[in-house]
Amino acid sequence: MKNSRIIRTLAQKLLPFIFLFGCYLTLHGHLSPGGGFQGGVVIATAIILLTLSYGIKETENRFKEKDLSFMEKLAILAFIFLGLLGIFFGYPFLKNFLPLGQRGCIASAGLMIPLNLIISIKVAAGITGIFYALVKYRGEI
Amino acid sequence: MTPINISLLLFMIGLYGVISKNNLIKKIIGLAIINASVVLFFIAIGYREGGLAPIMSSEAVDSANIIFVNPIPQALMLTAIVVSISLTAVALALVVKIYSKYKTLDVQKLYEE
Amino acid sequence: MKKYYYIVLLIIMTILIIGSIRPEYGNPRNLDYINYYLEHGVQDTGAINLVASIYLDYRAYDTLIETVVLFMAVIGVTFILSKGK
Repeated sequence: MKNSRIIRTLAQKLLPFIFLFGCYLTLHGHLSPGGGFQGGVVIATAIILLTLSYGIKETENRFKEKDLSFMEKLAILAFIFLGLLGIFFGYPFLKNFLPLGQRGCIASAGLMIPLNLIISIKVAAGITGIFYALVKYRGEI
Repeated sequence: MTPINISLLLFMIGLYGVISKNNLIKKIIGLAIINASVVLFFIAIGYREGGLAPIMSSEAVDSANIIFVNPIPQALMLTAIVVSISLTAVALALVVKIYSKYKTLDVQKLYEE
Repeated sequence: MKKYYYIVLLIIMTILIIGSIRPEYGNPRNLDYINYYLEHGVQDTGAINLVASIYLDYRAYDTLIETVVLFMAVIGVTFILSKGK
């Protein structure tokens, strides 16, 4: 599985476009079908393709497990912090208090864009963490 | 054969897979099929005759007499899909642990141990 | 013993499939709560996507708990497949 030249070349050429497509789905979450969950899964698919073509050791050098788990915990705390930020201004918890822009633009819909980004980071880190744990198991009881 | 009937057929196929197969991986695949059938059922309930997807683009709002389908079950099924992913992940982790200890995945042989 | 399971399952399956043919596939019963989201959805939030406005603005609390569910799955898998000492 590791020594195939075709898969390695194809993965090298395709990876930036898969990552770009995941970011596009996340950022246009309030204008067309998509959103945080869908974009996060596509970004995790890019990292899984990297693992399938180059082996687990090379991929672990770039996307370390400590950094992934740190980003995941930071994303949950940032979600709660954005909800509590509304309380400081006098609104209820998790209310859409940022200014709603012009409909149809990317810069609209208040608090929904930061929430989409945070959810996408969380889902990508979570699914990649599950994949790492399943691949690195070596038969110890 | 509306999608409601097809979702029930998928549920029965998944249930057949969970009950009657001897391999543990095939039982987990049956569980994922049951999850998919429930998602299909909820989305098929919210259909309206001649309705469009609930995205208010500018050409959809300008013309009169536009019917949209129900957007609420679609928002609930996002959570159901994430629950299905996490269930399959934990079940597969348990199956990996079982295989490394008993060296077999057959349910009849595991009953005798 | 396994043939017993097959026959019972097939009988239940045929009865339920035949009994579930509903003539009202495209006409839902009450439209009041659907009409509220379709009319006021774009002006309350600023989003065009009504599904995103439901799960990120009207019901954002459910999305918060659901990210915690995914976190629990990662904790479970990492704990089961860890190198215990």
